[in-house]
Amino acid sequence: MKEELFASGRNIPNIDPYLNIWHWQIPGYLFLGGLAAGILLFASFFTIMGKENKMEATVKKAPMIVPFALVLGLFFLFLDLKHKLYFWQLYTTVRYESPMSWGAWVLMAITPLSILWAASYIRELFPKWDWKYDILKKAEKWLIANRILMAWPMGALAVILGIYTGILLSAFNARPLWNTSILGPLFLVSGMSTGAAVIMLMSKDHKEKKIIGRIDILLIVVELFFIIHLFMGFLAGSEVQINAANLFLGGKFTAPFFAFVVILGLIFPAVLEIFELKGYKVPIVIPAILILLGGLIFRFLMVEAGQITRYLY
Amino acid sequence: MKKIKNDGSFYLNPYLGGVILGTVLLLSFYISGRGLGASGAVKNTVAATVNVIAPQHVEKSAYYSQFAGGDKEPMSNWLVYEVLGVLAGAFISGIVFNRLKLKVEHSPKITSRRRLLFALAGGLVFGFGAQLARGCTSGAALSGMAVLSFGGYITMVAIFGTAFVVAWILRKNWI
Repeated sequence: MKEELFASGRNIPNIDPYLNIWHWQIPGYLFLGGLAAGILLFASFFTIMGKENKMEATVKKAPMIVPFALVLGLFFLFLDLKHKLYFWQLYTTVRYESPMSWGAWVLMAITPLSILWAASYIRELFPKWDWKYDILKKAEKWLIANRILMAWPMGALAVILGIYTGILLSAFNARPLWNTSILGPLFLVSGMSTGAAVIMLMSKDHKEKKIIGRIDILLIVVELFFIIHLFMGFLAGSEVQINAANLFLGGKFTAPFFAFVVILGLIFPAVLEIFELKGYKVPIVIPAILILLGGLIFRFLMVEAGQITRYLY
Repeated sequence: MKKIKNDGSFYLNPYLGGVILGTVLLLSFYISGRGLGASGAVKNTVAATVNVIAPQHVEKSAYYSQFAGGDKEPMSNWLVYEVLGVLAGAFISGIVFNRLKLKVEHSPKITSRRRLLFALAGGLVFGFGAQLARGCTSGAALSGMAVLSFGGYITMVAIFGTAFVVAWILRKNWI
């Protein structure tokens, strides 16, 4: 491993004054991780409530894509690593003060759990599927009988995963835009909203779409509230935090943030969903896709803008 | 108030629509300092696309280099965002008046294909003309006339004058 020696904290390539180390892989991963967390949270919630047959897309269909989303997201993270072959060293230590350690271990637990969950429903969705070996058939039977047992840890881990996608940034205390603990809940809510969008895209049941749509409106309202508080917090902070907020309040990220995230990614889809609930005919794919795009752009902007903000001037 | 029929047949009174459009134009000047536009957004999108695919061509071209290339950001333009807003607003209007569905509107005497081909041809000619005139119906005529620009009036007369003549020539497509 090639080590570099720094004699000064200033003018370090790619670190000071601007961070230039996180590219598309990180927001891509944060998006997929949040989306997976959202879907799994809804799936476990409605399973625990005993509604798995009324909420088919939520509990059965949407979780099918979660293992793929998580594996793809992890692959993005892997691509981001400088020393790729040392990734396993994350699993030689448990450090509760490190968000990376939290993330690594949560993913280690929730990814196999999501695969087991999808496996337990695969024959219901694809009747021609054959497990071939007796041991797999027995395992499937056990899983089907113990879904509630899986749902509890899956729901809890999904919340941790969703929050972790924000904490990964906020633990980065050298960057004022990220160094706020509201990013955890904000990313969780945003991830849940994108998860709800995927469920709405996959659902064919009008009642289910309505329930998820209603939840989604609430999530969007909460998310807007968090975004307002994010900026209120910055503006009440020190000069560097005010500068960070100004990137979005008049600076170069203002137009894309308010146009694509706040208006087209949150308010407009919420308005469409409200019309849908009021009984107007709305093709639900439009708000769903806008929410997904808004969530993706939000993460790209936060990662990009955060790297520009700094404490040292 | 008269109850609005919710079967997609309700259209706003055109005079009232005009007043509302004028108010939008006034607000646009007041809030953003710019008039309305439509073709400019398309132009900037085209310039940005060409700049991605063939940046050398943009640099050499006297036309494209006005909008893209160097540190110009053609997509970071008020018209691009305005047109996104127009799409969003039109979508809501379609929902409210129950007109939201994919269809090609044409006279029963012609096919959808013919209608689309004529629309494409008309669009091409109009886009070309809008660039020669430095603006389309909204950017040059509407916004121009609002600030008493002589060019705005000429554009308006030219667009609608030509439209009267061409509509008569191509009337078989509609009646």
